[in-house]
Order: sequence, then C-alpha cells, then structure tokens
Amino acid sequence: MKRFRCALSAMVAAVLVVACGGTNTESTPVNQSTTHGTLVFNPPLRIASLDAATFKAQLAANASGQQLLQLTGNPTCGVDFYYLKFNTLGAANEATVSTGALMVPTGGTGCSGPRPIVLYAHGTQTLQTANIADITNTSNTEGALIAAMFAAQGFIVVAPNYAGYDISTLGYHPFLNASQQSGEMMDILAAARSALPNTFASATTDSGKLFVTGYSEGGYVAMATMRALQAAGARVTAAAPMSGPYALEAFGDAIFFGNVNLGSTVFGPLITTSYQHAYSNIYAATTDVYTPAYASGIDTLLPSATPIDTLFANGKLPQTALFDSNTPTVTIPGDPTDSAAITNKLKVPSDPNNPQTPLFAAGFGEPNLINNNYRVSYALDAATNPDGATQSPPAAGVPLAGKVPTQTLRKALYTNDMRNGPWGPMEPTLLCGGDQDPTVFFSINTGVMAAFWAPEVQAGLVTVLDVNGTPAGPFAPIQAGFLQSQAQLLAFYESAAGGGLSPQAAQLQLVQGYHTNVAPFCALAARSFFAQF
Amino acid sequence: MKKLTLKSLPAALVSVTAAASLCHSATAHADGVQSNTVRVGMYQIFYHVTADDLQGPFVPAGVNVDLKNTQTVYLAYIRRLNSFLDLEFAFGVPPKTKTIGKGPATLGSVPYNGQTIATSKWLAPSLLLEYKFFDESAAFRPYVGVGVNYTSFYDRQVTTAGQMGTGGPTRLSLTSSVGPVGTIGLKYQPGTRWSVIASYSISRVNSDLKTDTAGVIRTSHIKFGPQALVIAAGYSF
Repeated sequence: MKRFRCALSAMVAAVLVVACGGTNTESTPVNQSTTHGTLVFNPPLRIASLDAATFKAQLAANASGQQLLQLTGNPTCGVDFYYLKFNTLGAANEATVSTGALMVPTGGTGCSGPRPIVLYAHGTQTLQTANIADITNTSNTEGALIAAMFAAQGFIVVAPNYAGYDISTLGYHPFLNASQQSGEMMDILAAARSALPNTFASATTDSGKLFVTGYSEGGYVAMATMRALQAAGARVTAAAPMSGPYALEAFGDAIFFGNVNLGSTVFGPLITTSYQHAYSNIYAATTDVYTPAYASGIDTLLPSATPIDTLFANGKLPQTALFDSNTPTVTIPGDPTDSAAITNKLKVPSDPNNPQTPLFAAGFGEPNLINNNYRVSYALDAATNPDGATQSPPAAGVPLAGKVPTQTLRKALYTNDMRNGPWGPMEPTLLCGGDQDPTVFFSINTGVMAAFWAPEVQAGLVTVLDVNGTPAGPFAPIQAGFLQSQAQLLAFYESAAGGGLSPQAAQLQLVQGYHTNVAPFCALAARSFFAQF
Repeated sequence: MKKLTLKSLPAALVSVTAAASLCHSATAHADGVQSNTVRVGMYQIFYHVTADDLQGPFVPAGVNVDLKNTQTVYLAYIRRLNSFLDLEFAFGVPPKTKTIGKGPATLGSVPYNGQTIATSKWLAPSLLLEYKFFDESAAFRPYVGVGVNYTSFYDRQVTTAGQMGTGGPTRLSLTSSVGPVGTIGLKYQPGTRWSVIASYSISRVNSDLKTDTAGVIRTSHIKFGPQALVIAAGYSF
C-alpha cells in the first residue's frame, strides 16, 4: 500500500513538474543584423487598421480633418498603419536604427493586388518623439495627410521618421544632409519592401512603380533621394519634391544677407549640429557660432522632447531673432568700398517697398542667436565667392559658387546643394510650392532649380507649379482652391470666431501659416501628377 | 522532455513536498479513521477580474481584459492531522482559460470587445489547513480552511484575433502569483472509506501582464479574483 501511495505522489509531482513547461507564443523574430536597409522586426507592428468608412469617420471628427477630406476626397481604401524599425546609417556612417511608417491600402479593386509605392519624406519636426506612423496621435497631421491623400486612394506609402527621432539611437538629426537622408530613404524603402509580404494585408503587393515626394525638409530629401536612386540605377517612375530648400547655398546666402526666413532660429541649430556631426568643422566650440545667451547646450537642443513653444518660453531659443539688430561693421583691409557694401548688406532690412520687409526684419533683435563674427565670416565668403543665383543679375544657369567656399558652414551648404553634381531628373518631376512662402523661399529654391534645369523644364520633363499663381493649366483647380482657402482663412481671422483680428494682424497670421497651408494642395497636385503614370 | 524552468521551481517544490508527505508513514487509527484521503471531482471556477487598462505605445484609452469562467477536474490529497485538522493539497488539471477583450468595440476597425484574444493554462496548486466541526462520528462535517495558493501560467497563446488587436505576433507573459486562499465546505462521510464534499473557495491571484509585439511592450496588472465551487468524491485509506 505504501508503494502505491509513493507511486501516486510521484505521479502528482511529475504532473506538476511537466505542467510547468509548455510552449508560449513568440513575438516577432528579431533581426540581429545591423546591415542598413534591414528590418529589425519582420513582420512589423501594425499600429492601427482602419477600413475606409472608419478612416473617413475619424477624419470627419474635427474641422481640420473635414477640410482635408474636401481636398483628398473620401477614402476609397482602408489603411493598415505599420511601424517600421530599420537599420540605417548616421551622417558619419555610424550604424543606427530609425523608424517610420508603412501604410498599406486594404480593400477591393484598386486597394489590393499590385499597388504603386509613394516614398514620402516629411517636413521638419522639432519634437523628438514625433512618429509619422502613429495615426492614433491626433497631432500627427502630416501622417493623416499622406494617409488620406495617398494610402486611402490605393498607394502604398513609405515614410521615415528620420534618424534622431522617435526611438532612433542616433543622438542628433542629420538635417539637410543629402547623402545620409537619401540613404535613409532608400533603407526604409528596402525595409518596407521586405515587410510587405509579411503584413496582414499581404494581398497588397509592390507593383514596381515608385513615386518619390516630400514636403519642406522632405521636399529636399525627396529630391536628394531621386538623385541617389538614379545614381544607383533604380527606376523612379515620377517625383514631386514640394516646397524644399534645394538651393541651399543660395538660400543660406539670402538669409545671412538679411532675408531671414520664418523658423530660422529652429533651422539654424538643426543645420549646424547636423553638419558638425557630418564634417566636424563647423565650430570648435558652440560659442564660435552662437551668442553667449544661447550657446550652452544648443548642440543637443533639437530635436527635443520638449515642445518648441516651451523652449522659446524658457529662453533656450529666440523666437525670431536670428541676427543682431546692431549691424556688425565689416572691415576688409585695404578695401573700404567692399567693406562698406557688405556692411550695408548686413543691415536690418528696411525697404518700405518690399512687402517682405517686416518678415525679414523680425529676424533681428536682442538677444539673438548667431553672433556677429560668425555672420561676417559667412558674408565675406558669400561676397567674394558668390552663388550664381544671388548675383545681380543672376549668372546664366544659376550655378553654385565658382569655387568651393572656405567658410565651413557655407561649404557644407555648397556640398549639399541640389545643384551640386552632374545630374538632372531622368523621369517626370513636379516641383510644387507657393511663391509667398515665408519659410522656404520659393524663388531662391524652386525657382532656382527650375532655372538650373531649364532644358528639362523646356522639354516638359520638369513641371513647376506655384499653387499661389493665377489658375491656369492642368493644375488650375488646385491653384484656385488654394487661393480660395487663403481668402477664407483671412476672412476667418478677421471674423469674431477667428479672433476679430485687424487686417494687418490677420495678414500676419496668414503668413505664419502659409508654409503649412501649401502642403495639402501640393500633395494633391503630386497625387494628380502621379496618377498619370 | 519538458524543461524545468526557474519560474516553475516553486510549483515543483510544492509538489515534491506533497509527495514527501505522501511517502511518510501513514497508519489507520484503531477506531478505523483513515489518515489519508484522495479526492476527485469538478472545479467550477468563476473569475472576478479587475485589471488596469493596458498601457504602452499605440494603445487607446480603455483597453482592458476579462476572463471566461471555466471548469476543470479537481484532484486533492488530504492528510488527517487530528480529529479536527486536515491538511489539503488541492490541485486541478490545469484549465485552459480564455482571455476576452474588454473595452472599445473596435480598435480602429479591428473587433475587440468580447473577442477571445488569448488563452493560457493555469497551474494553481493550493495548500490548506482545514478545521472540521463536530467529532469523527458525525456524518456531516462542515469545515473551513485557509492556506496559500501558487499560480503559474503556461501555454500562453495570443489568438489570431488577439494578434489583429496587438498588431502582430505577440509574446504574452504573466508573472506567477502567490496568495492566500480560503475555503468553506461540507463533508459527508457515512463510512470509513468514501466521502463526498462540496466547497467554495476564494483566492487572491494577481499577476503582471506584459505583451511584446515587434519590440513594443504593453503592460497591465491583473487581479483575477478566482472563486471555485467544488463537488468531489473522496476515498480514505
């Protein structure tokens, strides 16, 4: 009997021990490789899945979404939003990870099967935590825009958050670095293509058509990516860079000579930090570039987990005062004429006949961001080795400066200027923007590229669209729509509901939102343009 | 061969302790009262789940979980300590529980509320010291008991519906729980060998839930609040 009891007890123990084992579901396999262009997790996380009706209802839940729907039209496809984590490289070719979005259309005809890919680059974000894939975040307006404009109309959308953002391990953002940013775009494209067969929507496949587009910083990145893909022998079906700072040297010269753009105190630290990491020669100490009021910690300030308004309020950055309102005196030994001419160019803009004078003048004040010595060093380089676009009159073909600049920031801008290198678009390209853009000047960027590519424009390979222009041609409805929306906004700002602003204040409000307001109209133009191919 | 893991060690120790006690010399008393009893019956388990909303990236507010009640086979060994005290080692065939989505009807367009999003098996042995009322001659003897419960979760599976909600293949982990258990019951034993019992038990089983979907971690703390109704037959020897 005792033997029976012991046998029973042993059996019980055995049952318990065995039961402690067992299998559990595993999470997504982790790719241990750090080879750039590979996914860390495949399949990637699906953040959300919205059918067409749900997406429409979600957009229609607020006023801005309703306006967006008027432009994009109702979603015809559902959209699955995937969160890609992929390996890429930093500005110094250091291995890092970045994240981004893969938006996959779902549904019937026109939403599944072979679909074209839109490779999209977003505009500058100051918030380090920004994630364009996170459609659950109502502040992710650019993510909602591209989802509604492209994915919900049957395009597969691929868009990076950029290295240095979200959970990227890179401690800075390679802002306006053509090599790094185009490389990252190609990396996320490769990663997205490897993810596609493993998504819930595996019936949606890559048709082989590739469209490249982006807005603002992303417009620049889109153009750089188009160039890099062409150089790699990859076929781009069509491209649509939008409102980008393509002609960086010319744009930089314009700013340093007093045409200060809206947002310059944000772009300044982003670009100097970016190029310092890439070339290690922008400054020996941040005080070489910045005034003492802001030099400390500015090399790690942006992007930031703190909202930009808080950074302004806490005195980490001036809101608009890029330069000192006390004009520095330039002294070129033995050349009082040029010294006086350059000094004159550095004065606070005051031309009463230029409607942009108030905008430019707002870029001056105290305390300001960039110190006078640094501004003078840049100005001297620009004056003695001028950019072809900023000469008066502009040099034929608006080329870059005749020789490589010696001032290190200007040299970095020269290096990353889209006019640098023997290349031009090989596939249909749309350059879209608004000619009153106070943030990324249209004429010095889009206009200069159009002049630089005059033969391609002449041949119809490159199309230039100013959404603020007189409605004409195939994009006339979009131009008319933009003009109407501007008029409506102005009337709204002057109305009681919009704050009852004076005409001048309402106009200022309109100017401040202009760059953002152009985006959906250019995106619509890009979609119409892509639909031809 | 199933592997004995560190997490399963406490359960193993409990079982080995129980085995050791079984192997200990057992004798029938002169009055015919037996020292050892085994029971087989049915557990009806009712969960009273209180869980924190799931926390983590990309989780909308109000996403919660619930459990479906379940049944399983009850097994127990009872060691008589004296006329009034028993030591019960109770366990069941580990039941497969179904975790149900609770909260929004849909996550985006994916159905959630009421969906079976995960399953897991519970290994939940309890050791109880029980006090029996009346004397050995009474056929009906109510009893109360207190003890300790150990619960380990294994064979944790996130269902297809669950993966649709979490966003992909998901690893689910639940920490083991040690907590008090209390019981009240009634034993009917007309002779020296056979008996039947009915009991009602309540125990505290708390666990930290963690899901990992493509490296994205979501968490919750769950109080399962299981209550068990048992009807069983016993044989004493």
